Order: sequence, then structure tokens, then C-alpha cells
Amino acid sequence: MIEGFMQALQPSYMLWLTVGVMIGMVVGTLPGLTATMGTALLVPFTFALQPGEGVAMLGGLYVCAMFSDAIPACLVNTPGTPAAMATAFDGHPMVLQGRGQEAIVGACVSSAIGTLFGAGCYLLLAFPMIQIALKFGPPEFFWLGVFALTIIGSLAGDSILKGLAGGGIGLLISSVGISHGNEIARFTFGVPDLRGGVSLVAGLIGVFAVPQVLSMIMQLRKKEFIAEYKPKSGETLKTVKKVLAHPLHVVRSAVIGSFIGILPGAGSPIAALVSYSEAVRWSKDKSQFGKGDLRGVTASEIANNAAAPAAMIPLVTLGVPGSSPAAVIAGALMLRGLNPGPELFQTDGTLVYSFGWSLLFAGIVTFILGSLFAPYLVRIISIPLRLLAPLIMLLAVIGAYAIRNNIFDVYIMLGIGVFVFLIKRLGFHPGPIGLGLILGPIIEPSLVQAMYIADATSVWNVFFTGTVNIILIALSVLSIAFIVWTQRVERVQKRASASAKDQLADAADTVE
Amino acid sequence: MINRNLILGAVAGAVLAATAGPVSAAGYPEKDITFIVPYKPGGGSDAQARRLQAGLEKNLGVKIRIVYKTGGGGAVGFNELHRSKGDGYTISNVVVPNIIVSAQGKDVGYKPSDFSYIGMTEKSVGALAVKKDSKFKTLEEIVAYAKKNPGKLTVAGVGSTGHSNYAELVKALGITATYVPISGGVGKMLPFIMGGHVDCGILAAAHGVKHKAKVTVLGLAGTKQSAALSAPTMESRGFKGFTMETTWGIMAPPGTPADRIAILNAALHKTTADSSVKNAQLKNGLIPMVQTPAEAKQYVADTTGAVDRRNNLLKALLKK
Repeated sequence: MIEGFMQALQPSYMLWLTVGVMIGMVVGTLPGLTATMGTALLVPFTFALQPGEGVAMLGGLYVCAMFSDAIPACLVNTPGTPAAMATAFDGHPMVLQGRGQEAIVGACVSSAIGTLFGAGCYLLLAFPMIQIALKFGPPEFFWLGVFALTIIGSLAGDSILKGLAGGGIGLLISSVGISHGNEIARFTFGVPDLRGGVSLVAGLIGVFAVPQVLSMIMQLRKKEFIAEYKPKSGETLKTVKKVLAHPLHVVRSAVIGSFIGILPGAGSPIAALVSYSEAVRWSKDKSQFGKGDLRGVTASEIANNAAAPAAMIPLVTLGVPGSSPAAVIAGALMLRGLNPGPELFQTDGTLVYSFGWSLLFAGIVTFILGSLFAPYLVRIISIPLRLLAPLIMLLAVIGAYAIRNNIFDVYIMLGIGVFVFLIKRLGFHPGPIGLGLILGPIIEPSLVQAMYIADATSVWNVFFTGTVNIILIALSVLSIAFIVWTQRVERVQKRASASAKDQLADAADTVE
Repeated sequence: MINRNLILGAVAGAVLAATAGPVSAAGYPEKDITFIVPYKPGGGSDAQARRLQAGLEKNLGVKIRIVYKTGGGGAVGFNELHRSKGDGYTISNVVVPNIIVSAQGKDVGYKPSDFSYIGMTEKSVGALAVKKDSKFKTLEEIVAYAKKNPGKLTVAGVGSTGHSNYAELVKALGITATYVPISGGVGKMLPFIMGGHVDCGILAAAHGVKHKAKVTVLGLAGTKQSAALSAPTMESRGFKGFTMETTWGIMAPPGTPADRIAILNAALHKTTADSSVKNAQLKNGLIPMVQTPAEAKQYVADTTGAVDRRNNLLKALLKK
């Protein structure tokens, strides 16, 4: 491990790492250019480098993209990658209140903390953590997905019913295409392009970016900019202090992020969503969530960044990548004749550890660059809406196209976008729709697989026994009970305050 | 994105370029060639494309730009190639039997027989694998368990191709078991095997080689013993009829002129004859293949027969 540390500290390693981080900054900021795409595009370039330098660069890109996807999420309410969806819930309202710099710096600090924690897990706890991850089979993933769905309660906005309907719409959109297991074409209306399903990235761009652009156009007469912004000096230090003022919240988000990141197939988007939902649940004052609470941004960003190094843990302990960018990094190693997996600890142990340290340093480099650039990045919102709206639209179209090089995805993106714009005016929140889109591909295949496994034993046995299942079911039930309870309390309070007002009015009457 | 690929490809090419003369004739190739990978970055097809990229660039004297067109189990990428101009400047991976299965019984815009095949480069036979510390140590033990407990053995496979392979497997082993379809490839299946959520899985021998630290292959399809694995062939243990095989190659759009296919084929042979490519294939448990375009076309036609046979087995199994 010390050797790895020394290797990762070499100037050439740090140089390529920084190059990776800078490319990651661009990749994450542009919606549609995901960390997967960015790392895949960079792979040929790593052939010219030492394997360790190459993976340091790819790792740097991955880690930084998990930060920089927060930039468009906060500034223009469009997540740069699916992992930043939850960041937008509070990040964008913060920007609207003129707290753009705080939001970006907060995301940056959180990303650094998350990365340090995740990389620490990779370096110290890889083997014990993977033992827990292996306990997750199809039924466990199903319940994890169901638990994550209960997040709707925290982001539904005014109406739980509309939140549930939104989640249902998202799940339905995710079910388009060839079904899992029996491979039947669903909702394809005879259109061959729909067989491949709706691309998650294109779908999310549609859900978030297009309605944003359309409402910008609607407001053109009323508003010239997204929000006011004046750079403040000393904002970085103040924000760092603000983030660290909630140590329990920070640790909880980091633990959730690392643990979900380690599960092959779950990944950063789910980590961020679960972390956000838990942040809402465990906070005493929930009133500001969704309206510009810094803790919403930090919960999401700490978790999605902790998940990035954690996704490398299954790669080095099992030989199975924990996320799509991890799969690309695995491919890059294989092309160099290195077989990612437990043997790598024996054959190239230094590389395994230097990679861990590189990920850790990537967090630090991301923080330095991110907080330096933050005041300039926030200036984006000073671009007049009549220029910004077409610019976002252009990026949305490019992003939707680039993800699979398919023009059909652009049509789907536009269609979903207009649809979401319309139902947003009816009081629907785009959050649950995006949530359904992200969770559908986790919940459905695991349900199908678990049902097949149940053929060998019984449904009861597969779904309702096993420690992990019971914990996840209990969490889901508690989560739903909690939502029902808070709704009731709020209603009682409203009624109480209403009747108190009446009494006051009555009292006033009598006095008069 | 394409331009980015071009730049990155150019950098990689400049680094790896060597001095051997390119094989070209009659002005072809004179510009960059687009290589469609119809599966996700980091997968088997991506690995194949990357292995061949440097050699093809050297031997053709032009850049190879890799472009991902994913979705529909490969159908989206295959369809894109089918619609591309047959001028030798667009090629793609082909995975057999996947291309056959992807087009079966539905209109995906192409028939496997339409394409101009350049040649298959490698293959891997099917394998039945369990986790390292499984209670099953041999093929006979797992067969005995399944016979004693009909329907209790859970066998994972990838998607519907996996299901028809499964039908062939249970017939060969003479057992009744439960199939668990995994979507998203062998990468998604391995943690379920390692964690004991399924008893065993059907994968390619290449995966068995790559993951031998964590999974054990109990038996192989086909008749030839693998050099990289100690597992016996099922046939040698008296279980006949498991023929699963996965083959990777490259192909061009329908109607690509034969002289251009010949140039591509020659470049491909030069590339795969290189010891670094060959070693990479062997190290990953793949069996190198050398084919003429005609042999490749015939190979796909032959495999179509095998796929039909497996599908009939599956139909019979589901009826039971």
C-alpha cells in the first residue's frame, strides 16, 4: 500500500490524473456525455501511458464527472449525468435564490469528501465490504429498488398522489422495449427503434432539460436571467464550514454512497437518491428540502462521489465492475494484459493500491479545481435567457444523440420533454418521473429473476427470508409509514393553525 | 463525438503505428473506416474491436474509428450497419449466434444472411460454472443433485439465447432444473453465482478463464479440451449434445464489393497472425479463428441451423 502511495504521488501520475480530472469536468458538465462515454473515448489515449498512469487518468475523469454533473443540475436544473438528479432538487432553487456559488462550492466540497471516503473504503475495507455486497441477489435488488421508490414521498411536492402517478409514468416509460426474461416487445407500436427501449440518459434529459427550456421561453418577457449572481469573496471557506457543520449527515451520506456503489448494477444515481431521501428523513427541519437546502446538495453529491471509487471494489475483489465506467476501466486494463480481479493483488498489487490512492487524490484535485472555477461557472446564469435557452436545447439534442449515436433518441427526448412540460403545469414534479426511469431497469429484471428462482423453492422463501430482504422490507414499510405520518401531522397542524386563526378572529370580533 | 474518436484514435494510432506496408489496391481504402460496436463499452465486442484496431490501422494504412451503437441485444448496431453504404468504409463486430437470435421471428430490419462477412476471429465454447467454494466439485455431483431434486437446481443464463442453450444443456445432462434469465450480460450474472443466489451459470469458457479466481468451470461444450481450463468436456463424461459456442468476427454492409472485402479480410488475417493479438486471445481463453469471407458466411448459415435446433428443444421443454 505504501508503494502504491509513492507511485501515485509521482509527478507523471499526478499530471495525467489532473488531465483526467479536467476532461471529467467537461464531460460531466455536458448533459449526455456520461462518465462511461468519457472514459471510453479516452481509453485509446491511455495506451501511450504506463497502465497505472492510464487508470489514474480514467479514474480522475470518473471522479470529477461525478462532481461536475452537479454544475448543470444546479445552474439550469438539468443533471449532467443521471447521478446528479437529486442534486438538482435543492441545487437549482439555491441558484434561483442567488446562492449559486454556495451550491457549486457545496457540491464540490461534498464530492471531495465522498471521494475520499469511497477511496478510503477501497484501500482499507475492500474485502469485508464485498462480502456484504455478495449477499445481494435478485430479490435483494428488488427490495432495494422498492425502498428507493419510497423516496417519492420526499420529493413529490404538494401531492403524494401526483408523485405516485409520476413515478408510475417513469416506470412505464422504462418498460418500453424488449422485456426481461421472456423477451417480448412491449409498447413498441411496431416501431423497430423502440425495441432497444428508451435510453435512460436521453429520457432524463427530456424530463429535466426540455421543460426547463420551455419554461424559460415562457418567462422571456418577465425575466432576463435565471437569477442574480454576484461573486462573493470568502464564500468557499464559509461553505466548507457549512457542509462540515453537519458531521452526522456527511458520514451517513458517505456510508450510503460507498455501500450502494459497491453493489454491481446499482451505481451512483441510486446512491445519490437514497442518500437524499435519508437526509430528508433524518433531518429535524425538513421544511427547506426541495426549496434550496444545502444539505440536499451535499447528500446527493457526497453519495454519488463515494459510489465512484466504491464501484471499483467489486472490480478488484471479484473481477466484476460495479458500474459502467468501471467496466470501461476494466477493459482498458485487459487490453494491457492485466486481468482485473483478486489475482491482481498478487501479480500487480502496487497497481491496485496506486489506483486507490489516485482516486483519493482525484478527489482533492477536483476540489481545488472546482472551487477555483466555481465563481466563473456560476456566471453561466448571467447569460440572457434568450441565448441560454437555445444553448441548453442544443446541448440537450447533442447529448441525447451522443449517448447511443441514435437520432431516434433525440425524438424520444423531445417527446418526453414536451409531455413533462405539460404535466408540470398540472402540478406534477419531474423528480418522481426521473426516479421511475432510473429504478425501472433495477426493479424489473430483479423481480423477473427472483420469480424464476422462486420456481425452484417458493415465493415466500425467495422474497421474505434472508436478513437483507427483511431489513429492506422493514425500511420500506417504515419509510411509507413515515410519509403517511408526516402528511397527517401536517394536515392536523394546518387545521390547527386554521382554527387558531378562526378563534383569534372570533376573539377579535368579541373584543370589538 | 465522432471527431473526438478520430483525434483519440489518431493519437493511439500514432503511438502504435509501425512500419509494415498497408494492403491496399485500386484506391481502397483511402479514408478512415468507421467500426460500429453494437454492445456497451467494456464488453466482449468492445474488447475484440480494441484488440484488432491497432493492427487493422497498420495493415490498412487508415484510421479505424470506433463508434458505439447499442441497444436491442445488438440489433440497433447491426441495423445501423445494414443501412450504411456498402463501400467498405463502415464495418462492425458480429457475434454469432447473437445476430441470428436478434433477428429471429421479428422484423429488425435485417436478415443475418444479408451481410457481407469479412471473417470470424475467435470463439469460445459454452461452459457450466459454479462458485469457487460450491458444494458441487464435479459435473457428476451436480447432475446427481439435480436428478435427486428435480427442479431445485437454479441455472443462470443470459437472456433468451441463454434459455435455448439451457434447453440443450438440461437435455445433454438429462436433468430437470430451473432457468434464471439474466439481462445485461455475464457481468451481471457473475456476482449472483459468486454470492450463491443461483447454483450455477451458463457462460463462455473465456469467462471461466478470466474469472477462475472466483468461479470453477465444471464442464465444457463441444468436443475439444480447452488449453486454458482444466475442466473436462461434457461429452468426455458421457453427456452428449451440448454444442453452445460464441463466435466473434467482423462484417460489412450488404453488397460491399468483393474486392474490398478481400482487402479487409487480408488485413484481418495479418492482424490476427500477429503474436500480440494471438497471445491476448489465448490469455482470455478464446480460440483464434482464421476464415475466408465465404467460410464466414457459411459459418453463420450453419449456426442458424444449430440455433433452430436449440429453439425447438426449448419449445419442447416449455411445453412439458
